[in-house]
Amino acid sequence: MSDIASPASSTSALTVRDLTVSFPIERHRRLIAVDDVGFDLAHGESLGIVGESGCGKTTVARCVVGLQRPDSGSVTIDGVDVDATRSSSERRAVQLIFQDPYSSLNPRMTIGAMLTQLLSFHDLARGPKAEERCRELLALVGLPADALTRYPGAFSGGQRQRIAIARALAVEPRVIVADEPVSALDVSIQATILELFADLRDRLGISLVMISHNLAAVRHVCDRVAVMYLGKLVEVGSTEQVFADPRHPYTRSLLNAVPQVRRDPPKNRIRLAGEPPSPLSRPTGCSFHPRCPRAEARCAIDEPALLALPDDASRESACFFRDERMDATLGARVPEEMP
Amino acid sequence: MTSILEVRDLCVSIGRGDGRFTAVDGISFSVNAGDAFGIVGESGSGKSLTLRAIMALLPTSAHLDSGAVLVEGEELATAGHAARVQRRARIAMVFQDPLSALNPVRTIGDQVAEVPRRVLKRSRTESRRRAIELLGLVGVPDPARRFDAYPHELSGGMRQRVAIAMALAAEPAILLCDEPTTALDVTVQAQVLDLIDKLRVELDLAVVFVSHDLGVVRELCQDVAVMYAGRFAETGPTSDLLGRPRHPYTLGLLRAVVDLDDQVGTLRPIGGTLPDPLHLPSGCAFHPRCPLATAECRTNVPPLIHLDVASSSDASSRASACFHHDLVEAP
Repeated sequence: MSDIASPASSTSALTVRDLTVSFPIERHRRLIAVDDVGFDLAHGESLGIVGESGCGKTTVARCVVGLQRPDSGSVTIDGVDVDATRSSSERRAVQLIFQDPYSSLNPRMTIGAMLTQLLSFHDLARGPKAEERCRELLALVGLPADALTRYPGAFSGGQRQRIAIARALAVEPRVIVADEPVSALDVSIQATILELFADLRDRLGISLVMISHNLAAVRHVCDRVAVMYLGKLVEVGSTEQVFADPRHPYTRSLLNAVPQVRRDPPKNRIRLAGEPPSPLSRPTGCSFHPRCPRAEARCAIDEPALLALPDDASRESACFFRDERMDATLGARVPEEMP
Repeated sequence: MTSILEVRDLCVSIGRGDGRFTAVDGISFSVNAGDAFGIVGESGSGKSLTLRAIMALLPTSAHLDSGAVLVEGEELATAGHAARVQRRARIAMVFQDPLSALNPVRTIGDQVAEVPRRVLKRSRTESRRRAIELLGLVGVPDPARRFDAYPHELSGGMRQRVAIAMALAAEPAILLCDEPTTALDVTVQAQVLDLIDKLRVELDLAVVFVSHDLGVVRELCQDVAVMYAGRFAETGPTSDLLGRPRHPYTLGLLRAVVDLDDQVGTLRPIGGTLPDPLHLPSGCAFHPRCPLATAECRTNVPPLIHLDVASSSDASSRASACFHHDLVEAP
């Protein structure tokens, strides 16, 4: 249902189809964390997955890298299924960057030892060649070569995240998944890491999936964005278009909630009431309808499918009112402009 | 209008012997009733320590070297039992993580009701009634029923609302907030910010709000101070200051932060890294990262001086600790 019939599916780096993941809660009860999620990612493309805590975005990321087995559905990278039968070289195809660079690096290993171990394990380089490759990797992420002999403890948060990125790049992956890569960093450091991601995407042609609750960060790095709510995709499209003209009330509400630094807060914007419901007691119809300022009677009965917009086939929304423009006040709907 | 909270020349040091350093270095400000004052800075800038020093809640490793905290003109004790008694029913604080601010084995109603009972010496029935009223005030739905809920039964946003209810239970005039929305999702953060703003107006509270997020402070605070390495780099009315910064650090922060409607590729990160507090640079602590730095900046510490800014609506309220404040570009 939520599969995106991408015109370029033959050249997709990453294909996710009908992904459903549930976790056991108690006997005979399972929490559905991810519900029928599907998307494609082209070579060199970057996709941001945004949503609030508990929406299932991290579970999607874990499935993509093979850390979580889905109940049903598939993840393929360059046509190879991400499952337990992958060969070591196939495992190299996707790498994960974690949120907290303080816990993702081994404090007892020097950066050089960490990288050369990785290179030799995957038979990529040994001896002097490995050392040369290490220097190359550090240069790529903007760290001096003398970092090789030092331990993670000698580096700041931003530098550690650069090391984590270098480690992910060491095995020459085709897809990188970054789970909240800047959330643990200071404001002035976040910008440098976001710039690095944008730069690596452009220079190395790596496909990137960035999981984040920070919409501005996604806007900065990602070509496309997927918005999740309660385990489902509710809107997918080019980042610029989705942010400028959201077609799902949840996307609009998320955008309204982000505090702006360079301008005073807008007047009359709609604030979302309540909090996301528990996935254990999913509302009927559209999961978002109890909080939705735009909801009508049928939203409580029928569930809207993720479908292409009538005016733009490259974008999708799971809202019955996907043909309407939604301004910051949501209630006062702006009629569609004639082209 | 007289200020309800005044902080004078606060200095806090941390550690002992060779490891000792000054983390808060001469902070002064005042807040009027019904106003919100924001303190913005990165980790290690000393913003949370400033708040804790006001609340007399400094960690044991920290020492208040000098400074005074005045509430309605009366100077308060800075440590010990006397300090706590003087602050009761006058200053309250809300912390970043509501789960660790609440007792997990007692109901939320019990914890809120404890304050009117112990501090204001109200009866049990009256305290319970007051607690339910407070829970309703902070937007906990169905407060009479939720009175008997435990913290683990609530979401993060609801827990923070309960923590705010507890803070307000003794009817303080001053509310100190230490990044109370950092652990929350954006839509819930927006709700809690709206709540604090509503309470400020309705209860005529003086709010001091510490955050690393310029956007959050812009939403909530009329006035702001930007903090760097234990000092105020710049102070002034929030939208005025963020619209036309007069310190290169503020400008650097503004240019490094991503906003929603920014042009892609316009980020300009601040060069260098945050200074090591044990080895602060000489002169202005920002000079190694500053594009405007001159010889003077390397030797002399620039004082926070009031500016004569013609473009500003309220010129006298802007202050900058930069020798070259008139050379700072528009963002």
